[in-house]
This record gives sequence, structure tokens and C-alpha cells, in this order.
Amino acid sequence: MAWQRPSCIVQSMQSLRLRPLRSSASPLSSTPTPFLLRSQKTNARGYATETSSDSSVQGAPAAAPPAIAPAAPAIDFDQFPYRPARIVPASPSYFSGSPKFIDHLLRLQNLLAENAHLPINSPAHAQRKAWLKLPQFREFVGEPVPTKKYKSLIKVLQRINRIRQPIVPDHVNAIINEYVRPGNPYAVKPAPPTLDEMGRARGRGKRKTSSAVVHLVEGEGEVLVNGKTLSEAFPREHDRESVVWPLSITERLGKYNVWATVKGGGTTGQAEAITLALARALLVHEPGLKPALRKAGTITVDARRVERKKPGHLKARKKPAWVKR
Amino acid sequence: MIVRQLCVRQSRFLALNRPARMVGRFYSTETPIQTAVETPTRGHPVQPQDSEYESFEELRIAAQERFRRAELRRQQRRSLGAVIEDGYDPEEILRNPPEPKDITLELLLASQTHLGHSTSRWNPQNSRYIFGIRDGIHIISLDQTAAYLRRAAKVVEEVAARGGLILFAGTRKDQKRTVVRAAELAKGYHIFERWIPGALTNGQQILGHCETKVVNALDEEITELKPNLEEHAALKPDLVVCLNPVENEVLLHECGLNNVPTIGIIDTDANPARVTYPIPANDDSLRSVGVIAGVLGRAGEAGQKRRLEYAREGRFTYEPVDPKELGLKDTRETQPQAESRPQRQSENQDIQTAEAAANQ
Repeated sequence: MAWQRPSCIVQSMQSLRLRPLRSSASPLSSTPTPFLLRSQKTNARGYATETSSDSSVQGAPAAAPPAIAPAAPAIDFDQFPYRPARIVPASPSYFSGSPKFIDHLLRLQNLLAENAHLPINSPAHAQRKAWLKLPQFREFVGEPVPTKKYKSLIKVLQRINRIRQPIVPDHVNAIINEYVRPGNPYAVKPAPPTLDEMGRARGRGKRKTSSAVVHLVEGEGEVLVNGKTLSEAFPREHDRESVVWPLSITERLGKYNVWATVKGGGTTGQAEAITLALARALLVHEPGLKPALRKAGTITVDARRVERKKPGHLKARKKPAWVKR
Repeated sequence: MIVRQLCVRQSRFLALNRPARMVGRFYSTETPIQTAVETPTRGHPVQPQDSEYESFEELRIAAQERFRRAELRRQQRRSLGAVIEDGYDPEEILRNPPEPKDITLELLLASQTHLGHSTSRWNPQNSRYIFGIRDGIHIISLDQTAAYLRRAAKVVEEVAARGGLILFAGTRKDQKRTVVRAAELAKGYHIFERWIPGALTNGQQILGHCETKVVNALDEEITELKPNLEEHAALKPDLVVCLNPVENEVLLHECGLNNVPTIGIIDTDANPARVTYPIPANDDSLRSVGVIAGVLGRAGEAGQKRRLEYAREGRFTYEPVDPKELGLKDTRETQPQAESRPQRQSENQDIQTAEAAANQ
């Protein structure tokens, strides 16, 4: 398990720290061991691996471990070692290698099982919570938790969080709040955009590699793109139609003046970047148009970008033609 | 994405038929259409149920009360109608697992422990556990299963009574709750995900960072000794109960190398020599595995109970700690153990009689 000890420094420090222990536990050393039971340090029952290492110390050739280790012999209860003050694992999941994480997981799953009968919200209506991010969670648990296991735990947390808020018991809230990162980022919401003192609304939009800023004022329907008229800026008719599409779909073509600055990309990208910016600016003037604009597809961000070219391909996905020899 | 009259504009034929309308509309920025500038907008609807309550706390109390009443009503109506008795409830194995004294052939048959694998997959070493062949699969002899299960239960009980560490391992997907429940009953340890290879043979690297503690005979932690544990070697189990030995060959190999005795559910395709105490049974049925793990968990529970009872009476099954050897100045924690020294002999006799019972 590479993730158990991610750092080589940790490993080397561990070996340095353990060196005095190992030397004192070996029969060759005469230094007494001051702490704990001597019988516990060297295990009372002989272990096959330990005997082989002892023989190698004495110079005898170490026997190779068998391909299939035979099962241990039956327990002789007359010889079974009794232990007064026992050393036991702190957690029942000690042998899993990540006991703290497993304890957290089992605790949450038990909590969920106890409260599984409570009514739940749909995931969309659950209270939004900012769970600990993976590095924070690792610090919280104190173990190098793999991403997949972290995600499985977050799934359980989200299911618990769906229990309807007025009904959820206090102790459940207290437990799941341990996994919420400090400071709620969802509490701070950006202020809604407003008209400035001159009655202008500002909107920004991006499409492909173009980005546009639109200032929208009530007026006679003039459109200027980078200081040029619409027909000068976009010779292609389809682009002109795209630019004013939010206004024409809502029948506002003669009611607003548009002042757009756009840069980057080609004509299609610039035109559609202005579309998005214009629709956003229009929403500042008239928020009630949102359903119409949404239906027309003008406030949906198109996040597609040009796919990169790959080695071994002619373009992003195109492969060279297959040639026999 | 901008959705428009795609077919109108994209179709060359249609576009050629009426070009004048499209061009005339978009060459000018003036709009020919007259509409009202102000659109009636709809604000957020007022939620009446929130306004009924002064504060969130009141809303919360009312909601909880409503939910409680609904639950009560549901419970009252549950008693109406027919009652199904003696049904199989899968949760019952977890909630109330059978004890070793409850092992009967009927229970084992009902929980499908007799079903083996296809005859072609058998391991001939299991021939003495096999009753016969039916429908192309081997049927495991249930009286053998019961006898081996009773023996394994006694082993688990005696190890628990002596304070040994018992590890329950079941790494199949559905065995998680079974394993955790058995470990919880027996105060043992569980592993339900992958066994990390080397956790026994290379324990210091893999389990070195896992926390341990020192407990006295009453299982109370002796916190004074905590610092001494930092340099202690990683622990090894004293008994491993493996519910799916076929998938856990590495675990069994490491147990063999480290002389750790193992108990395993041996289906007809498994090698019974890999474990110290085989239990010939079906390891593919969750119900069968649940019954076997439950019995072993209950046995461990009985052993732990016996150990704690003896400890409470001041009888200890082992040599008391010498406080000097523990490097301890304050010996208050270990005093009760030192007092119990004279009674050890009688206890050993008790254990010997118990062993005689186990070996029978």
C-alpha cells in the first residue's frame, strides 16, 4: 500500500526511531528494556518469520519461506499465554490499516441506519453543506484516505443531510456538522446586479475564445459593436441575427441601445459571446424575461472549447488511415 | 445553444424561396414590432406555511409533532390485518444471532449451509465432509458442519476467555455488516475491505501508525502507559476467523507464516488444509455465512463475559503485572491485580476443566 507511507522521509525516520528498539529486543544486546512486559515485546508464541531471522543472525542459511504456508497447528490451551495488562488495538478496525477512517464510516452508516425511517427531501432541496475537502478531511481523520473512500463517506453524509430539516434530531445535526468545513461558503451570495446611476446594465459573456461586454440602456434600438454598426462588424447575416437574438425573441429590438465591446476569437464566437452578454444585461433591466430567454437558449452558457490535438492523431480524434505495411 | 427555426434557415431550398424577409429584417436595427416596454413580472410566491410560525423553533416543534403523530398512527394501524409468523427476516440474523447451543440441523438446513459447489469444482480433500450429489452440486453433510461449528465456537470462546485478539475477516461485498456485528459481539476486530498484504508479515510498516492502548483485566484503559506504546511492535491477532478463505489466500498464508491459528468456512471447492479449524459449509450464501459468523460471535461474547466475570471477582486467568516491569511509578491502577495473586491456581483449574470440555 503505497499510500500508507507516502513520504520517504517518514519511512526513514520510522526506521531510525525503531532501531534502538530492535537492537534491544535482540538476544545479542545486553541493555535492559525498561518499559512494558518483556514477554510481550518478544511475542510469547514463536512466529515462523522470527525464528528464521534469528537463525540468519547466527550465521545459518535462512530457510526460504514455503510457497504455501501450512495452517498453524491447533491451539494447545495449556501453553496459551496469559496476559495481565493487555495491549489491545484502540479500534476494532485496527487490522484494516486505516482504523480511524473505518470508524468514521461505520459511525455515519450506523447513524443513517438509525434514522433511515425519517422523511427525506429530494437531493435538490437538501440544505447545501460544504463538506471538508479531501486534504482537510485527511487532516481531520489523521490518515491518508484515498479519494474513492472519501467519496463513499461523503455519499453517506449527503444521504443523512437529506433528512427533512425540521425533523432531523439534534445529535444527527451535531455529528454531520463535524464534517462541514469551517466558514460556510454557500452563505455568501453575490449581490444581484443592478442598473448604474446612468441607467446602464452591464453583462459579460463568453463563447469559444471570445469574450464580450455589453452595456444596455433604454433607447431607440441602436447597436454598436466595438464602435462599428452591426452590419459593419458582422458581414454574415447569421451573426447579426445572433447578436440581437435576445432582443428580437422578446420583441425589444427598438427599446434598447446596445454598446458592445468584444475581443478574441472569430466572428461566430464574437457574435454568440455578445448574445450571452446581451441576454444577461437584459435580465438586469427586466428579470421577468428570464423564462423566455432561457427557452430561447440565450442565457445558457456554452462551455465547449476546441478539443486539443493528440499525439498519434491527425487532429483531436482523427486517426491516420490504416496502411497495410 | 441558440434554438431557432433551424430547418427554415438551414434548408437552402426554403431560404432561397424567401430571402427578402430575412434580409430586410436584419439589415436595419429598427424594430417594426410595437410592444409594451414593461412586462408584468412575477415575484417569488409567498409561503404561507412559514408565516404561520413566529420562529424556526416553533416550525420545528410543529413538524416534529406532526411526524410523531403520523408515526403513532402508522404503528396503530400496523396491528390491523393478518400477522405473518415464522417468516424469514434477514435482519434477524444480525439483530439476534443464534448461540452455539442453538445449532441444529434444521437451522443449518434452513440457512443453506449444505449447498456446495458444482461437482467439477470440488477439492477431493473435502470428500469426508460431503454427503452426496444432487442436481450436479455437492451436498455438505450437516452433522459434520454442526460438529465442526461447535468445535470452532468453543475455540473462539476459550481464546476470548483468555483475552486473545480475535479477528473476523469477511471481504465480500455483502459480508460487511455480518463481520462487524460478529466482531462487536465478540469484542474482536473486523476487516471487511481488502486485506492489506503484509499486515502481519510487514506489520510495522502497515499497522505501525494505528493506535493501541493498554487495558487492565477489566478492560479499562491504563492511560499512564500510553507513551510507552509508541515504540511497541504492531499487534498480531491470536485467532483469525475467515468467512471467505478462497478470496483471502494471502491472509491465510500470512497467518500460517506467523503461526496464527485460523478458522475458515470451507466450501467444497476450498482447501481445508489452509485453515487450522475448518467449518465445512456454504460460503456463498449470505444467510449461511450470517449464521456461522453469528454463532462464533456469540461464542466470543460468552468468552468475554466469562473473562470479565472472573476479573470482577478478583480471579485472574494470568500472572499479574509487576509494576516495576511496566515502568510505572503510580501503581494504583495495577494494585487490584497484585492482590489477586494467591487465587490464580484455582482459576487455572477452572480453565483446565473448560479446556477439557473444549477438547472433547
